[in-house]
Amino acid sequence: MPRLYADRDRYPVRPENALVEATDAAIRDMVRSCVAASGRLHGETILGQLLDELVTADKVEAVERRILDSGYRFTWSSALSLRDRPDIYASEEARDNGSFSFEHEGAVVIDAEPGGRQQRGTGDNVTRTAANTIGTAMYLRTSEKVLDLMRNGVPADTVAVIDDSGGTLTAPILDRFKGVICAGGTIRSHLGILTREYGIPCLMNARVSGIRDGDTVEIESSAPARTAESYAAGVEMPARIWKLP
Amino acid sequence: MISDRKPPSYVQLLETNNLIQQTSDSFYWLCLTRTVQESKLYPVSAYILLSYLNAFYRYPELLRKIETRMSAEDIGDRSRNMGVKLQNSHISSCLPAFYLLGREMLINWGMIRPQDAMDDVIYVLDFWKRFMLAWHRNSGYLTNTQAGQRGQILPNRRLEVFKADLYSCEPGDELQEAANAFMATASQYGFLVSCESRVSLTNSGPYRIDDNHEMLIRDFMDFAECSLPWLDGVAADVPYNNITVVMSVRDCHFHIVDEWGSFEAEPAFVAERLAGVGLYTSDPLTDGHQPIGMGSREELIQTLRSLNETVREATNRLWIRMADWSRETLLDAGALTYFSAVKELAHVAGVYEVSDWMEIDPRAARFRSVLNDDYANLFLGELVGGLTLSSQQRSPFTMAKLAERPVAMMTPLPYSVLAGEDYVPTCGPIQPGSTLLEPKQDRYRTSRGTITLAEYNRLAREFVPTECTEPHRFLCETWVKYNAASPQADELYRLTQRGSRNLEGRGCSMEIK
Repeated sequence: MPRLYADRDRYPVRPENALVEATDAAIRDMVRSCVAASGRLHGETILGQLLDELVTADKVEAVERRILDSGYRFTWSSALSLRDRPDIYASEEARDNGSFSFEHEGAVVIDAEPGGRQQRGTGDNVTRTAANTIGTAMYLRTSEKVLDLMRNGVPADTVAVIDDSGGTLTAPILDRFKGVICAGGTIRSHLGILTREYGIPCLMNARVSGIRDGDTVEIESSAPARTAESYAAGVEMPARIWKLP
Repeated sequence: MISDRKPPSYVQLLETNNLIQQTSDSFYWLCLTRTVQESKLYPVSAYILLSYLNAFYRYPELLRKIETRMSAEDIGDRSRNMGVKLQNSHISSCLPAFYLLGREMLINWGMIRPQDAMDDVIYVLDFWKRFMLAWHRNSGYLTNTQAGQRGQILPNRRLEVFKADLYSCEPGDELQEAANAFMATASQYGFLVSCESRVSLTNSGPYRIDDNHEMLIRDFMDFAECSLPWLDGVAADVPYNNITVVMSVRDCHFHIVDEWGSFEAEPAFVAERLAGVGLYTSDPLTDGHQPIGMGSREELIQTLRSLNETVREATNRLWIRMADWSRETLLDAGALTYFSAVKELAHVAGVYEVSDWMEIDPRAARFRSVLNDDYANLFLGELVGGLTLSSQQRSPFTMAKLAERPVAMMTPLPYSVLAGEDYVPTCGPIQPGSTLLEPKQDRYRTSRGTITLAEYNRLAREFVPTECTEPHRFLCETWVKYNAASPQADELYRLTQRGSRNLEGRGCSMEIK
């Protein structure tokens, strides 16, 4: 098999993630086979821009098949990716009702606090408010749920529990929440920016356990807002999340 | 081919590599305080990577096409005087970074070598530098990073008008409530319009008013029926494509206004700190910023409320349209949003074509199948955050700025081409592209009404804002400092003061407080 220019790298490393390593290796193997088929050296194929003719969409699709043939199934982040290609994504469904709860590794849980309050996690506070925020937890993970709330209205005092740090999924209804717990992103993520604009108490990057639809929750929005400097320095500034009796 | 071309000069390579390293450092800093942006709706990382590839294959030719009509520095001058979508996140960061990250992906995949597309790389970075220096002429900085995370762009005369025409507001009054509500709704709509990106939003400044007040310029762009096909119909009622909110704040200092147009303040900016509001529009056909609803305080309140409602309705319509798309359509829309973040350059030059900016080049599209959510999230994280790809490793003695490791996000051009190593000068001409999006309807909302693209291009080619004509263009801040009493300075200031409620006709001789 011919050598690629990248094969001469004096400081090669393996990517941190096995999927990146496997996919990149498969792409480079595909490029090598295209160069081999041309009967020329790697540099000569680029000079003639022959590689642009040899590397076709079909050959790139074979890379994906090679990964899938190993039995691996991809983790989805867009619910529509799972909907459109259920054959290639791991089958955990996008659930946002019933008994589902986030169970994050490292969630700080203190079962018995005075008065029966239970700490069920922490997050990064976006904007400091005078008092904590109390409301009713509701998971929001699919566009179908958002559409339902657009049609039927968002119940009063809803604290949305979301694992999407973006600003699009909840776009039509975000301003109707009393608070937001987001299991992702940072205060500078789009959802953090928007809740700040709307003046909605919000904890980003939340790590929680045992919060379900209908639970009464309290978020420590009176804690200091997390700063960009603290992210850069790796200094935690946790605001707490409680489940109330 | 190298054999029949003159290689670049040593100085060109030195300068280009400096620009690559600056882009690498600033993009890394921008990514440090953010995670990979995930969305349950949009496959964000996947579309970002597809946009990088499209930028690599298309930007060189499209920028050269723009310069057949207008130079990068001419457009930079327009941008400084006009606002519109030639702002921080678009040109300052997206233009060089998207292009160079597409190149980095292809180097890692073995598709190209560091020396390939060398003429393109030199040209794209040179275009960027010329635009940025002209746009930032008043501060003299190439980027906000160089300026210590500030984006102070506008001339004194424009800032005087913005400041003088602000309507003041207090916590709980109707104007503050209407302005904050509009800015929140507009931000929400902007993220949706630009497919979960910041491309429709940016901020610049801050500008000092006094010891207790600063001014921030907030731009909301591509809000009406414009070059983004998904706004056809749903945004028909939005009356302005670009909206600028000038806001002054009390007792808080914007210590970061970065290249993505994000801001941070100390203490944090919250709604109650809003102290003054102005509202404007501008586009490639306006002679500077045009006031909206600024005739009276009550008119401004009603205008903000009306815009808020219109934008909210457009948000709902657009969300319902997007929620019905397939993953591959979302991928196209997101990739084209990112890729076309710099498309306003073509609108200003009057050379915009839908097939240039709203299609995916087949050389980029062939990689779609590896851009599943999983790989895209992980690969993007390594590419712009971890810097853990092989092409990003340096000599083990290296201690990179910020990362303190032997890494750099972007690969420099090798000087070995001057010693005879072969290279490919260009990625070649753009190829007929494709998209899964509905065809763009031939309607563009501008300050001259809703017009066809042919009309838009013709008007843009004919139009030169007065402040960009001779001799005004070169009557700079330094000149004004020493010639404020001259008739030319008066005329220059009167041009900017047109439409100002408080300063129209005052000229340059007003007392500076």
